[in-house]
Amino acid sequence: MNGLRRRFASVSLRWRVALAFGLVTTAVAGLLSATTWQLASSYMLEQRERGATNQAVVDARLVADSLRRGSDDLPTLLVGLTGEPETAVLLRSDGRWTTAGRQVDVDSVPTLLLALATSGTPARQRLELDRAPVLAVALPVTPEGDLFVRLVPLTELDRTLRFVSIVLVAGTVLAGLLGVLLGWWTARRALAPLTELTDAAGRMAEGDLGARLPVRREADLAPLATRFNDTADALEERVQRDARFAGDVSHELRTPLTTMINAVEVLRRRRGDLPETAGRAVDLLGADVERFHRMVEDLLEISRGIQVPDRHDLAPVDLGIVVRNVPASLVPGAVIDVPEPSPLVTADRRRLDQVVANLCDNARHHGGGVVRLGVVRRDGEAAIEVDDAGPGVPAELRDRIFERFTRGTRSGRNRAYSGGTGLGLALVAQHVHGLGGRVWVEDRPGEGARFVVALPEVAS
Amino acid sequence: MGTRVLLVEDDERIRQALGLALADEGYDVVETATGEEALEVVDPDLDVVLLDLMLPGIDGIEVCSTLRSRGDLPIIIATARSDTADVIAGLEAGADDYVTKPLIAGELAARIKALLRRRRPSGSEDAPGSSELRVGDLVISTGREEVERDGHRLHLTHTEFRLLIELVSARGDVVTREQLLQRVWGYDYFGDTRLLDVHVRRLRRKIEPDPDDPTLVLTVRGSGYRVGQ
Repeated sequence: MNGLRRRFASVSLRWRVALAFGLVTTAVAGLLSATTWQLASSYMLEQRERGATNQAVVDARLVADSLRRGSDDLPTLLVGLTGEPETAVLLRSDGRWTTAGRQVDVDSVPTLLLALATSGTPARQRLELDRAPVLAVALPVTPEGDLFVRLVPLTELDRTLRFVSIVLVAGTVLAGLLGVLLGWWTARRALAPLTELTDAAGRMAEGDLGARLPVRREADLAPLATRFNDTADALEERVQRDARFAGDVSHELRTPLTTMINAVEVLRRRRGDLPETAGRAVDLLGADVERFHRMVEDLLEISRGIQVPDRHDLAPVDLGIVVRNVPASLVPGAVIDVPEPSPLVTADRRRLDQVVANLCDNARHHGGGVVRLGVVRRDGEAAIEVDDAGPGVPAELRDRIFERFTRGTRSGRNRAYSGGTGLGLALVAQHVHGLGGRVWVEDRPGEGARFVVALPEVAS
Repeated sequence: MGTRVLLVEDDERIRQALGLALADEGYDVVETATGEEALEVVDPDLDVVLLDLMLPGIDGIEVCSTLRSRGDLPIIIATARSDTADVIAGLEAGADDYVTKPLIAGELAARIKALLRRRRPSGSEDAPGSSELRVGDLVISTGREEVERDGHRLHLTHTEFRLLIELVSARGDVVTREQLLQRVWGYDYFGDTRLLDVHVRRLRRKIEPDPDDPTLVLTVRGSGYRVGQ
């Protein structure tokens, strides 16, 4: 029982509701059908029996008259009495049986019936003769024990009843099926908000902060949608406030940054004139001002991406051109591998360039350099592949490296390099998602990591 | 005499640091803090203007279009963000190139150099003397840098003219965006194509009979432009 319940619970709610609907409608329709059957069949049978009995009574009286008169035309009368086809009349007079109509063996008439009639009681019984249902009515004709038996076929009635029963059973089954259908549809409708909620929550988890539920008029569902949307609004506002803050801070930082960069540049040009210690200080200062600069730029870029989804910059972009356009200094010695014709995607070219540049930069600093820059088609998607010569990315880090400030140094790779901003791959992920694509890292054939940026291909 | 640069920037510290670094790169820098001041001090000896778009008083866009209406002085605009409308507005107003903040003297120097290189009369490589090219009903004289239609001269900036020449020299073949940026703007392009798109738009406005339905400068989807024959 428990096992059954568990199994039932594992069926989806929608189907459970549908099955329950089906069971209930089947039960109700079945009950109605059974009652209808009961009433209809007994009524029809009774009608038939009464008709047959009345006929038999009239017949018996005619036969009695005839016997009393001692008339000779009794056989003719009997033939006349048979009336409808398939009917048989039997007369026992002075212990002799006379029959007319359908051929019937007298022995097949139940003796109990005959005994009852002989004793003066009219009797009737349903029985099977030659596999056909028949109603037998036996009446005493004279007090001396003469009997009149009328056998009436019930085939017609039987056929009618069978038809009614088929209709009722079919109706019950149909009602059950309709019940299942109705239940399924109702459950689907009732669960639609849940489906939408799952959908919206999923999209939100993937970073689409604009996901909202349509507000419905139904009193039961409106609070769910409203509550969800309020939560989403609050979350979006908070994320945007954070992004705006990061953006504002970065923006403000650019003014002093400009001064610093240019001042350092002047110092660097005069590196030769400086005493050794001051020169080394300038080198350190210069390297970190540069890194500071990149960080501010990346932060600005990230906050910008969250704030406004930019749609007017989208245009068809040839991935082959994007890949060939990467400066050779960024990917020294890399194989450029582009199919002909190379696929087009819809993208913001500036962002796509930045994505590729950041991936190459990442490969250079953490993966021993780019060994191959490829463009491939993968199931309706066009993908850029950046292969490096490093040790690959451990499976448990493959999602995390696209988060902000997940540093290669922390994961034990290339501790010597500290010039990164910790935002490069996060920016890659953000841009790619913004363009409706996916980015992931896998093992490349041989040794090393393969970063893949897949975007929907558009027709050229 | 060194190259004379007019630096229009309202933030004093940036102006000082940038002026210092540009002077260190060998430029003769004239510094101004407002658009009004800039329009006053502009003289024929200037080689290039470096213009911040965010200025108190007359804003950078207006300064840019005023300067352009006066002549063909090369203008580089400086903007806070590369993906804002002011870049487009500035380029539409006639700027030849743009840089994003923070401004770095070394990068600026490279831009200025590239801009001035293409300004110099292109005697050596392109045209011995004055050759004439024809596209549709346009007559292009490479030596004098003039474009005429039905005897009427069309006023193109040097940048627009160079762009047209690059397209026409390909004789109907596709010239990719990268090639155009590389050949016309002259620095290793790695960034966005807004610069090119706006210049193409400007060029079309000047040379196309119907700029919305171009017949001379055609877009090749996904790769670049070509000239229609």
